[in-house]
Formats: sequence, C-alpha cells, structure tokens
Amino acid sequence: MAEVRFDAASRIYPGTEVPAVNELNLDIADGELLVLVGPSGSGKSTALRMLAGLEFIDKGSVFINDKDVTLAPPQDRDIAMVFQNYALYPQMSVAANMGFALKQQGIPKDERRKRVEEAARILDLEPYLDRKPKNLSGGQRQRVAMGRAIVRSPQVFLMDEPLSNLDAKLRVQTRTELADLQARLGVTTVYVTHDQVEAMTMGHRVAVLDHGVLQQVARPRDLYSKPENRFVAGFIGSPAMNLVDVDATNGIAIAGGTVPFDDSVNVANQSGTVSVGVRPEHLSLVTDGTPDSIAGEVTVVEELGSEAFVHVRTKHQGDDLTLVVRDEGETSTQRGDQVSVAFTGPTHLFGADGERVGD
Amino acid sequence: MAAVTSNSTREEQVKALQKKEARRRRLPLLPALLFTIVVTQVPFLMSLYYSFTKWTVTPPSPREWIGIENYTDAFTNMFFRQAAMTSVIMTLTSVVLSVILGTGVALLLDRKFFGQGFVRTLIITPFLVMPVVAGLVWKNQMFSAAFGVLNWVLNQVGVESIEFASKFPRWSIVGVLVWQWTPFMMLIILAGLQGQSSSVIEAAKVDGASPRATFFQITLPHLRPYIELGVLLGSIYLIQVFDHIVVMTGGGPGSTNVPLFVNQRSIGGGWRFGSASAFSIVVVVATIILATFGLRVLSGLLEGEEAA
Repeated sequence: MAEVRFDAASRIYPGTEVPAVNELNLDIADGELLVLVGPSGSGKSTALRMLAGLEFIDKGSVFINDKDVTLAPPQDRDIAMVFQNYALYPQMSVAANMGFALKQQGIPKDERRKRVEEAARILDLEPYLDRKPKNLSGGQRQRVAMGRAIVRSPQVFLMDEPLSNLDAKLRVQTRTELADLQARLGVTTVYVTHDQVEAMTMGHRVAVLDHGVLQQVARPRDLYSKPENRFVAGFIGSPAMNLVDVDATNGIAIAGGTVPFDDSVNVANQSGTVSVGVRPEHLSLVTDGTPDSIAGEVTVVEELGSEAFVHVRTKHQGDDLTLVVRDEGETSTQRGDQVSVAFTGPTHLFGADGERVGD
Repeated sequence: MAAVTSNSTREEQVKALQKKEARRRRLPLLPALLFTIVVTQVPFLMSLYYSFTKWTVTPPSPREWIGIENYTDAFTNMFFRQAAMTSVIMTLTSVVLSVILGTGVALLLDRKFFGQGFVRTLIITPFLVMPVVAGLVWKNQMFSAAFGVLNWVLNQVGVESIEFASKFPRWSIVGVLVWQWTPFMMLIILAGLQGQSSSVIEAAKVDGASPRATFFQITLPHLRPYIELGVLLGSIYLIQVFDHIVVMTGGGPGSTNVPLFVNQRSIGGGWRFGSASAFSIVVVVATIILATFGLRVLSGLLEGEEAA
C-alpha cells in the first residue's frame, strides 16, 4: 500500500529540446486507481516509465510512500508492471512467469508455488499453469501478465495500455474485471491508456496529458462536466464536444444563435477569439423559429440504437461549421433535412488562452 | 450450353490444370537439379563403387572388387581413427569457442553506441576472408617465428619466439578457425538478440532480476535455437576443413583431419583410391547423420518463430 508523488518531474530525451514529460506534479493516494490519458506523444507512457525506473528523471523527483526513488533502479522500488505486449518470458511456463520475481527475491519453492497458485485462482489461470505463453489466447496472456504483477503484492501496480492488444469485446469485459480486481486488492495503481472511454470508466481520478504537460487531474465526472481547458474539453467525451471559435467582440453567438452561459461567465468581459464548447447532448433539434436557434442542414445521421448523433451543417462567421447533436434513437431525421438546433444544457467558454472561463 | 459440363469432366479439367501448374513449377528447377546431380551425385555413386574395390594407381593395377574389405580396414586403421579423432576435437573446440566468443561479441554489439554499424562490419570481415588466405596470413604474418606479429609481441615482453604452426599445429589451426567463425556465430546470435523484445528485458528488471540472472534465465534460453543453428552450420562446415591445414601445417603432428587424410591416401600421394573412397563414404554417412539431426533443430526453430 503506498502513495505516489511526482514532484516537478521532467524527462528530456537525449538529443531533444522539448521535454517528453514537463514538470509533472501529481499526488496519487493509497489504493487509488489513477489513469494517465492523452494522445500519442503526450508523455503518459514516459511518466509511467519514470515511476517504474525505466526512464531517467532529468529534473524533479518521484516518491513512493514518501521515500525518494528518483534515482533508484526498478528492482528497489517494489512496483510491478503490466506491459502493453505483456512481455511474458516466452521460454517459461505460466507458473514460472508468475513466480519469476519471487524467485529473484530468493523465496523458497514451496512458498512460491503457493503464492502462484493463489494468484492463478484469482485470475482463473489454474488449468494453464504448465503451458507456455505461446499456447495461450490473448486474453489468457493478459491475465498471466496481471498474475505476474499481483503475485508479488507490490506497493504499486503500473499498467501500460494493458488492454490495447485485446479485441473490442474482450477489452470491455477485461476492463471491468481489472477495475474490480484493483478495488479488491486495494493496491495503488497507475494506469496508462490512450482510450478516454477506458480512462473514464476505470479511473478513480484521471490525469490528462498533452505534449508532456499535465492538463487536468480530476474525477471522471468533473473532467467531463468541468474541463479546465480547451484540450481537455475536446479530448474527453465521445463523440467529442462541439468546440467553436467565436469572435467575442459583440457578444457570443454561433451562426446567429446567442449562446447562453451560466452566471459565473461574464460575456461582456470577453474579447478576441474565444472558444465555445457544448456537448452533443446539450443541443437539441427544435421546431423552426425557436428563438436563438441555429438553422442548418443534416449531413450525417449516426444511428446507435439507443440514441442518434445528427451532424448539422451551418454557416458560422462565413465558414462551414458542423455541429453534432444528440437525438433520440430511431430518429426520423434524415440527411438533407433542414433543421434548427437549440442550446438545452450547460455550455463551456474557453478564453483566448484556452483556459476555462467561469465555474 | 458450353459452360455446363458434367462433374467428371470438371474433375479431369482441374487435374490437368494442376499437372500443368506442377510442371511449370518444376521446369525452372531442372537445370540446377541436373547440374547438382552431375557434379555431386554421380561422383558420389562412383566413389561408392570404388570404395568396394582395390584400386591403386602406382603401381597401376586393374580395379578389383573386394567387397567391404576397405571398410573393415577403415575401422581398424589407426591413422584413420587418429584423423577422425582430430576432426572431432578440432570441430568441437572451434565451434564451442567461436560460439562463446560470438555470443560475447554479439552482446557487446547489441548495445547502442556511436559507430556501431562500422564496428559490426569490421568484426564480420574475418568471415569474408578466403580460407587459404586466412591460413597464409596467420601462418606468415601472425604465427611465424621470424616475422610474426604474435612473436613480436612476445619478444616485447621478453618471451622467446615460438614457431606456433609447427609446435602447436592443431591449436594454431583451431585458433584461425575460431578467428574466422566467431563473426559468423556473432551474426546469428546478434539476430537472435535483436529479435528479443526489449520489454521482456524491462519486465525482468522490474521483477528484480540482476543482469546476470536476466542473461542466464531469460536471454540465454531465448538464444538457444540460434546457438543450435550456429553449432549445426559451424559443425557441418568445420568438419570439412581442409584449406587451413594444408596451408598452415600440411597435416603436421596432430593436425591431420579426415579430409586431409583422405586426400593423402588418394590424389595427395597415396594413390589408393579404393580405400580413400571408403574413408570418405564413412565421413559422408557421419555428416548426413549430423545434418539430419541438425535440420530437425532448424525446422524446430522456424516453427517456434511462427508460433510466437
């Protein structure tokens, strides 16, 4: 059980100017499952590897349980890592894979066997203990990688996109199992993924990174409802939030429809180009002539069964603008329909610097 | 309609097409196959025939069928047994030493450093040198008591010159063979090392394995099929070594292996083609056994790669 703290930790790869991870500050509580999420090149894997001791930390420090491990080699950090490609030892049986770390610690064979079997029981791997990794399915290999981690009862679990090599259905299933397992074991876990759905569904808190810079750390629902900047707003949510650049000189309107904001936003204070964000479910198709509605033409209807996403093309500041609007499932809306769109829920405003305005 | 044909006709048509396809595949192979048969299989069969005859050229005498007498001779001939022993010892020591050294060099070259490609190319060069040239260079420039580099170095530290090639004929040859074959082993093992996923090594690090444990418990088992392949190919080639010996020692004490021995008994001066043929047939059979065993290893390696 452990807390993890990144204190202004940076990693600058040799031969590059821009840090891969730039002064990362992050506090991870005991037993927490923290997800690092970001697009490729955001530094999320680098941050994890810094914690693992597989990357040098050029500036700042990393603490595990208040112990400075900045310069400690991986084996002195008491962490276990699950790799994206699982990194199983191909010549060893499942049991030997899982017991490898214990063997390195010089734990006697009987004790090793007992702990491996215990982990195998938790992960339903008992029938496969004598098999080689190449004779296992993808899902089973993933579980062996998990097993190798939990056998050690480490201070911290590190997971580097552990589900990305599974097919879509298995991924969703394993996601739940993993979150459940983590909660049962109560081990502090840092989980890296590029999949924001995975981040939202699994994380107790989610840290969003972009270009090596931490954008926001928050509970999933806060990340969704109160993104602190334009990047987070666009990255979290599927389909993505509608983000529209607006000239704020004369009030804030999209394609003729004035955007409503809550009281904390002072529209009159804004100037220059700002961004308006509104999620598809906070827009609705309404009857023509509704005040402050936006007129447009339907270009695509994405029918998902329980809901539908309607792409509406309109003109905004002289350019084509497509808004995504959530509609009910089995909608009668079709491509080519002329429709009106109205704001029906919270909206977000990001200033010229990309930072959130108001609460 | 023309397109509608009965089932049997369709089967015949498919068969005819398959036959045509098979012929088209074999035809381009034919010249190479014929050439191989003419230059290897025909002489082999002739040797096989000679091995059952008594046939000496000096003094000229008619060939005479004597059955397996040459073979019983081969197994009782002390010189042949000695030559066979020399072959085994030279092959084994050369292969084992070059595999160990090759693994070491491969491990060093697997790390990233400036000029890596250049160093790798330099290290491969001994393998590209012709055997005769290698033998001459080592005999005259390296081992020679008068001009040799090795002896010059020994002299510098106050050691008397040693005529390596005549004093230690067998080990001088093994030394040159190791020099030539280490790069080959290094190449194969380097390929194996580069085929190892870096995350496996990282996983071992995180699991707390020391570099030593990582090498012996993870890297070496991973390299096993590559080492087996190197041992197989090296053995097949080194058991036939001839050029180095002729050039360096001419078969001096303890350095006459089977190929040299066969040569001595036949066109090299013995002119006893019957018994020399029998010796060479014994070697061929031994080599086939070795190669069959080795090929199984090789196919195992390929299967393993597919499954991984």
